Amino acid sequence: MNFFKHKKNSGDRFPCQQITETLSILPNIPINQDMNQNIEILKSAYTDCSDVVFREFTIGARTKAALIYIDGLSNTQEIDQQVLMPLVQLESFDPGISIENVSKKLAVSDVSVIKTITDVIKQISIGNPVILINNKIKGISIGLPKWEKRGIEDPVAESVIRGPREGFVETIRVNTSLLRRKIRHPALKMKQMTIGKFTETQVIIAYIEGIASNTLIKEVTNRLERIEIDGILESGYIEEMIEDDPFSPFPQVLSTERPDVAASSLLEGRVVILIDGTPFTLIAPCTFASLLQAPEDYYNRFLISTFIRWLRYLFFFIALLAPSAYVAILTYHQEMVPASLLLTIAQSREQIPFPALIEAFIMEITFEALREAGIRLPKQVGAAVSIVGALVIGQAATTAGLVSSAMVMVVAITGVASFLLPRYAAGIAIRMLRFPIMILSGILGLLGVMLGVIAIVVHLCTIRSFGVPYLNSIAPLKIHNLRDVLIRAPWWAMNTRPDSLSTELGNLQRQPHGQKPGPSKGGD
Amino acid sequence: MMDSSRRRKNNYISLVLLLCLIILLLAGCWDRTEVNDLAIILATGVDVSKKEAIELSVQVFIPKPAEGGQQEGVSSGTNSSQTLVRSAEGVTIADAMSRLQEKLTRRIFWGQNEVLVIGEKLAKRGIEDQIDFWMRHSEPRERADVFVSMDSAKEVLESMPELERDSAKQLRKLVDSQIGVKVTVKDLSEMLSGEAGAAVIPWVAKLSPSNLGVNKGKNIPFIQGAAVLRGDKMVGWLSDKETRGILWPRNEMKSGIITIRTNGETGYVSLNLLRSNNQLMPKIMNGKWSIRVKTDADLEVIQNTSNLSLLHSKSLKEVERKVVQEIEDREKLALSKTQEKLNADIFGFAEAFQRKYPRIWRRKSSEWKEIFPKVDITFETKVNIIRTGLENEEARKGGEEK
Repeated sequence: MNFFKHKKNSGDRFPCQQITETLSILPNIPINQDMNQNIEILKSAYTDCSDVVFREFTIGARTKAALIYIDGLSNTQEIDQQVLMPLVQLESFDPGISIENVSKKLAVSDVSVIKTITDVIKQISIGNPVILINNKIKGISIGLPKWEKRGIEDPVAESVIRGPREGFVETIRVNTSLLRRKIRHPALKMKQMTIGKFTETQVIIAYIEGIASNTLIKEVTNRLERIEIDGILESGYIEEMIEDDPFSPFPQVLSTERPDVAASSLLEGRVVILIDGTPFTLIAPCTFASLLQAPEDYYNRFLISTFIRWLRYLFFFIALLAPSAYVAILTYHQEMVPASLLLTIAQSREQIPFPALIEAFIMEITFEALREAGIRLPKQVGAAVSIVGALVIGQAATTAGLVSSAMVMVVAITGVASFLLPRYAAGIAIRMLRFPIMILSGILGLLGVMLGVIAIVVHLCTIRSFGVPYLNSIAPLKIHNLRDVLIRAPWWAMNTRPDSLSTELGNLQRQPHGQKPGPSKGGD
Repeated sequence: MMDSSRRRKNNYISLVLLLCLIILLLAGCWDRTEVNDLAIILATGVDVSKKEAIELSVQVFIPKPAEGGQQEGVSSGTNSSQTLVRSAEGVTIADAMSRLQEKLTRRIFWGQNEVLVIGEKLAKRGIEDQIDFWMRHSEPRERADVFVSMDSAKEVLESMPELERDSAKQLRKLVDSQIGVKVTVKDLSEMLSGEAGAAVIPWVAKLSPSNLGVNKGKNIPFIQGAAVLRGDKMVGWLSDKETRGILWPRNEMKSGIITIRTNGETGYVSLNLLRSNNQLMPKIMNGKWSIRVKTDADLEVIQNTSNLSLLHSKSLKEVERKVVQEIEDREKLALSKTQEKLNADIFGFAEAFQRKYPRIWRRKSSEWKEIFPKVDITFETKVNIIRTGLENEEARKGGEEK
């Protein structure tokens, strides 16, 4: 680790400096009196930028002006009708009139006055056309951005049977509107910042004032401000830059593309980070229990949800331990298997040339590869892969005598179990941890499995997510918080918010007590 | 500088810790065995060979891969045996085992051995030394069932049951049905080391095969009564009926059907035993040793072919009285044989006396062999019929009129 750090520090000085220099010429320059000079500076900044349009025109037949925008980012039709037309057709233009008054003449809702060249560039790059007028030291930016965007669709990565069908999209404003439509209260705050030297990506920190703790908001803001990076193309960039323990296999920031999940996290006192350009928003802090909670848990009736949650817990362990337990028992503890089962396994294993551990590895790796291939390939080919995969894993491998049918069963149940984890990132962590435990089980038997489990538990106990212990409400045991971990308490009983997230504010009460429904409670 | 030196120190410490962890792994793999390398032993037989040595026979599972099923399932499935029997001689079981290992390509695996059959000849000479191997060696199961076979134990292992996969499973299933006694190696060891110094072990006899088909000439083992051991030597044999009688005082009677006939009636009443609890109440009075066998049993009527109407408490009482008599008759039958003929205290009377009169026992324990046959046994049996079942009295009466 040391080695890397030294190298990085000494290495990145030189090229980084150079780039900032070229960019930093611009900020300090205010808009010049002479418009041509401004245009010169901008043109030099936008050398070889074929998509930047400089449209020069005259106002009132005499005053020279220029409209600058990036083609494809702005609504040119509206600009023509609402901005250019009234200005060009103006019969008399008083050169002494202030720029503010000019802006009032424009029939556009979002108009702002800007003063520096940097602002000009900023406005242009987010799609707001800028008008510069000769002899004026200010410019007008017109809020008419327009670009092609995807419509709101069903979230693909997190599908539910019951629940809202809309998912976040790539445009941050659409995403904030989706959130705002769910939480209308003005306490929902959305702090904006820009990250990425070149991408200048908009990042919005959303939280509910009064529910989310101030330290948490501050910590999230600090960590985001610390990021110095060339570009943010997906929320994964940010996730990796703000994690507590970058070497942990477990995700410490949740990601979701469902507005309802984001909204429910906000209501619990978490912070949601929206990033422009990706439908995946980040939720912090994240606890281990929340990895095993599906959005649908909260939409179905609580008995069903509790049952499904337990099923998920059970299969979490199966996903983690089934192959290693099988290997351990079959190579070290044959006496543990019931006699008739051992005989059946012995029969099916008789032709297998590999030790159980190797056999398990072959199957698990094949399975993981098939799954990965199924994701990467285009949909039409993906179906073919899964059919071939099922044949390879299920039928051909056993008939060829490469793997025993019992092992196929184990791998299949493990595969199904790993699909039960609602969070994809958690699923990957479990899939990954399966392999070291399998090696341990092959070396030390059940003792090795236990060692692996202990190591994982110890690790889970040590990590934190934004100051919240990862195993919160399980490891620092809080009985009342287990209402949303061990079971899914009915909504009329979930009267308090998870206290680890909003302790300092002291407003844990979510709703009044005694809302359990029943017949003739109303009194009428 | 401070920081980097501290970091280096931390790195050093973590390296040492990592090495310690790796050392842990060095212990691994030494006892790793694949299932393919195991000779899974399903049953073991111990005999005295012609050369007066210990003959150890094992029934080894042959892990033939399961047949494809479609083509030749019927023709070969029933005939082909899934097990083989190998035997070797030695001075002790362990010695024989090492000889046996020479004949087997795979490592002998005791972990699944659930049946131990002792030949009659060996049982009569004493089994203590053989049981020692089972208790002392860490691999064999202490919960394996023990049997004494009428002829050589090897013959039992070689026999082919018709319904079950192999003779090991056949014996286990028979003994699990709780009709006779069930004795594991651990029980046997406890019985032999107990105060009474007597034991009872299920007795395996041969049943000739039902059909004259494929298994012609091969016998099927089944349980017929029990062998009685005094000390570690077999002294006698109890029939099936007598064996049932010893289950009551041993508090092992858990299920069974009792059929009785009441006085003056033509038909029978059959009752199913639901629960029973037995206690031994020892008493020493004026140097006279006596024991009261207390029995509490709950039964239900499952068939009534007599004219008795069980809806009336009077007739129910009559049935109960008859059941009590029946139970006590069975107990007496078994007790008289073991007490008078075999002089083997297989009921745990010795423990009962020891528990109640520890001081007297300390003095008299050496004389138990003389005392036991003279112990006075009384019975106190309480029977409770809790369900009489559905009864159609009218139909019964109608039958009378005709």
